Amino acid sequence: MKSINLKENQFIQFHQKISFKFDGVKYFGYKGDTIASALLRNNINLVGRSFKYHRPRGIYTCGIEEPNALVQIISEYSEPNTRATIKKIYEGMEIESQNRWPSLENDFGSINNLFSPIFSAGFYYKTFMGPHKKFWKNLYEPLIRRAAGLGKPPKDFKGISNHIHHNVDVTIIGGGLNGLLAAKSFINSNYDVLLIEFEEQLGGIINNSNKISLIDNKEPKDWLKETIQEIEESKNVKILKNTLVTTYNYINHLIAIEDRFVGSKPIEGKVNSTLHKIRTDHTILCNGHIERFLSFQNNDLPGIMLSSSFEKYICRYGIAPSKEPVIFSNNSNSNSLVYSLIKAGLKPKAYIDSRSGEKIEPNLFDLIRKNDVPLYTNSQIKGAFGSKKIEKILIEDSSGALNEIKCDQLCLSGGINPDVHLFTQSKGLLDWDEKDLTYKPSKPFQPTITLGSASGQFNFDHLNSDINDKLKNFKIKKLDVKLELNTNAKYNIEKLWEVSPQKKSLWTKSFIDLQNDVTTKDIRQAITEGFDRIEHLKRYTTNSMGTDQGKISSINALGIVSDLLDKKVNEVGTTIYRPPYAPLSFSAIAGRNCYEFYDPERKSPIHNWHLNNGAIFEDVGQWKRPWYFQINKDETMHEAVQRESKNVRENAGILDGSTLGKIEIKGEDALEFMNLIYTNSFTKMKQGSARYALMLGEDGMVKDDGIICKISDQHFIATTTTGGAATVLGCMEEYAQTEWPNLKVFMNSITEQYATFNISGPKTREIMKKAFPDINFSNEEFPFMTFQFHEFNGVPIRILRASFTGELGYEIYIPSNSALKIWEGIQSFGKEFGLAPYGTEAMHLLRAEKGYIIVGQDTDGSITPIDLGLSWMIGKSKKDFLGKRSLTRSDTVREDRKQLVGIVPSNKEDKLEEGQHIILEKEIKSPVPMLGHITSCYHSSTLGHDFALAVIKNGHSMIGTKAYASTSSMSTTGVDIVKPVFYDEDNKRLVS
Amino acid sequence: MLIINCPYCGPRDQSEFSNGGEAHVKRPDGSKEIGDREWGEYVFIRANPKGLFYERWVHTHGCRKWFNCVRDTSTDKILVTYKLDEKKPNLNNFKSVVKTPSGEPEVGSGNFTVEK
Ligand SMILES: [Zn+2]
Repeated sequence: MKSINLKENQFIQFHQKISFKFDGVKYFGYKGDTIASALLRNNINLVGRSFKYHRPRGIYTCGIEEPNALVQIISEYSEPNTRATIKKIYEGMEIESQNRWPSLENDFGSINNLFSPIFSAGFYYKTFMGPHKKFWKNLYEPLIRRAAGLGKPPKDFKGISNHIHHNVDVTIIGGGLNGLLAAKSFINSNYDVLLIEFEEQLGGIINNSNKISLIDNKEPKDWLKETIQEIEESKNVKILKNTLVTTYNYINHLIAIEDRFVGSKPIEGKVNSTLHKIRTDHTILCNGHIERFLSFQNNDLPGIMLSSSFEKYICRYGIAPSKEPVIFSNNSNSNSLVYSLIKAGLKPKAYIDSRSGEKIEPNLFDLIRKNDVPLYTNSQIKGAFGSKKIEKILIEDSSGALNEIKCDQLCLSGGINPDVHLFTQSKGLLDWDEKDLTYKPSKPFQPTITLGSASGQFNFDHLNSDINDKLKNFKIKKLDVKLELNTNAKYNIEKLWEVSPQKKSLWTKSFIDLQNDVTTKDIRQAITEGFDRIEHLKRYTTNSMGTDQGKISSINALGIVSDLLDKKVNEVGTTIYRPPYAPLSFSAIAGRNCYEFYDPERKSPIHNWHLNNGAIFEDVGQWKRPWYFQINKDETMHEAVQRESKNVRENAGILDGSTLGKIEIKGEDALEFMNLIYTNSFTKMKQGSARYALMLGEDGMVKDDGIICKISDQHFIATTTTGGAATVLGCMEEYAQTEWPNLKVFMNSITEQYATFNISGPKTREIMKKAFPDINFSNEEFPFMTFQFHEFNGVPIRILRASFTGELGYEIYIPSNSALKIWEGIQSFGKEFGLAPYGTEAMHLLRAEKGYIIVGQDTDGSITPIDLGLSWMIGKSKKDFLGKRSLTRSDTVREDRKQLVGIVPSNKEDKLEEGQHIILEKEIKSPVPMLGHITSCYHSSTLGHDFALAVIKNGHSMIGTKAYASTSSMSTTGVDIVKPVFYDEDNKRLVS
Repeated sequence: MLIINCPYCGPRDQSEFSNGGEAHVKRPDGSKEIGDREWGEYVFIRANPKGLFYERWVHTHGCRKWFNCVRDTSTDKILVTYKLDEKKPNLNNFKSVVKTPSGEPEVGSGNFTVEK
């Protein structure tokens, strides 16, 4: 195949040479070239191997619908599956072909073509079933995955994408003739208008073809320039170029992706693309049409191209991929290609039309006769032949005789389809047009207007009236554009979906989906096997399931299916076109919400101290909490946790509890409100005292717990679990607004305003005395579950005597910005008493020894306070609180509910495991009735053995009995069911 | 994605809001005897119509106020938003623009793209 450079034009500059590499070889193109046009300039048409059969494939189109020419851009972090037909080249670009090994010319995988008779529809399901199911996972799947597919995954690259939001009245999608005319009529109106064009230049059909000769008596080029200038100068119409609308959501919400590096290499760390999120009152779809191909034997050979694409290469890129292509058509859309070729000083080698002579436009006849183009009417191409590129075609003419023609290029037109992808995404309905043989937009579901060929207007006859009529409700300028055409063709299609081959063999292939290697034979076979519903057929054959969504072929498949089933196409229906219209990268969707911004990290005000003191962190929600502190690099987690917890029991430990949720509740009716939110009663509680409290859902299940400090009847401070802070505040606000709006109460999160340090252990009082010499920490002056406000070195602090470890303990609340100083002070005062920091794991162990629950670990949203043995916390005299009535529901008073118990191994040497089941049988014989499961499990150096908390059926009445715990090695361990408290049962240490 | 008109802040993106389910479900008065059925319906039972629906939303990442709205669940269009203490609008004032999108059956959903 020999291509030929034509005249320079406004899009392509022959004096600006650009060098690039394809499969390691250096080539030249011009500024403005796409990879495809540059490759064609260098007479390269073999650009890839097909998905399944590894057949040689070339450049089939000149746009986004391209099924074949997908390449890997090595110079852009190896971005795969890039459409060569839209990606512009730049100096130093490196491109590789895909899905071939070791090289494009000699591809080992093409052996698949030899085996192709077994790769028919559904072959995955049928062929690789035996001899054992392991064969699939270990042998077949890896083999198939290596042989089939598109490009290789890209390399790591910090691509940045911005998100921009638009709020406009009207969005016009497509800046072709109709889009420009619509935009023009909105100029100086009261509407905010956004005009979105996918390509670098506005103009569409004016740039891509020679269909139009004059617009308003001007050269189309000049008219275009004036119109664009007029739009650009207007105040109310904004143009977005290089922007593709990929998604049309509910409520006219559009998503569009803008390429920021067209024709140049993306720079790492710079914004590569912009994702536009557009809210619009009205959407006007002017996104044109897509030409479809035809099925015949070897219709996938390199050198076969859609006819409008060939014309686009001529008009837009100044190149004819071949000097004398053969044209095969069943409609008049390809007439202008004949005109364009002749205008460029070339001519078709032959013109083949499946229609009879009288259906062909007279002026096409004139053009063909005048230029001595061999004409075949009522004729069909039976097949194309050649190795790696087209060399000859076989024509069956009107008499049934076979003619062989040598050629290096074939241009195809099987008709055109309105580009209905966005319209159907918007939930608009389609209707089959029996005359034009295509689905056209019918009923819009949203305020959507379609214009031009996007609406199925394939001729220009009603250009003005169509636009004026459809835009009349906007009450804007009326259009009166005069259009003159070069080829006066009416779109006059005759049905043709597929030409049957001359000779059939197992290896004969007529493709219906080029990207997924689906043949018309696969369609027939699927129907024979009963997959005759279009959605089933699509999945069984994978037809139109490629990244191109079958843009040039899916309607052809419907046509073939409707013929085979002898049904109308409307009855066959169509599969759904799903967003995105074309692939867009995850980084574009993620925008700036990635890397450190993916999920915010919340840190305690003394986080850096932890970093410097050997803390290993644990994620608790978004918080980073010290899990344990390593005193040297060799210390294991188990060693650290045992050391930390033992130190709390023997000396004293300090925990950074700043992540605990803190909510301040104020107002005239704060007391009544708190009584309604929590199970406990706060009425008789003294000022300055604190209480452990439970919060339930309306279903009666435990939702959160915390300590409530009562400053006065009008002022409370509540703590929540670290993970529950937002939910608890949200719940309080909801009930305050929706159920009890009469209560005067306000609440606010103060979690981040205060740091919290929990210091506990038998030597705590000594340390506190040293650290805060002005405060009396005696049991009489500062009893358990009371709190005091103090000022310490000018910092207001609150000290609460409470404990989550079972030892004497205090919680100190300090404004965050003074926290580090006080933390460091306590550390130095505590040194002589053996004070050491401990992490969340030791804290969990210590609280479990005391049988204190953790909401979300020992409860799971199906546990009531009664199940936990916490009935004493329920304010029974209260008339109402959240979930109260649910505690007497038939389900919550059921006898066999799961209840909290303690578990110790009968043989103290044995180990227990978290999450294991508690069962009654020593031998595991399925089905094993399960009593419940272990929710928390630790080894205690204080007790000298493992112990656990568990929720088991009827647990409270089973205390004192024996059972078994399952193990991860499928055996059982004998256990004793005990009370869920293992240490200091009468709380002597707590209140001492 | 919706644009929701917060009665306090004006139109804002849906990502700022959280849905709170059916509106105008009265919590039974705790000071009185509440039957099992009445309480069970309050806790567990909510309407889920296809069409016009009274619904609660909260402007979580905004003013944190709860408010009510009428939403057409078949089109996702929010027809009106109003404050909690405002009277609920009569549904007869609104037309469900399309009763079932894309000609789907009134019960259940379908994937029809072609006019039947
Ligand atoms: Zn608001």
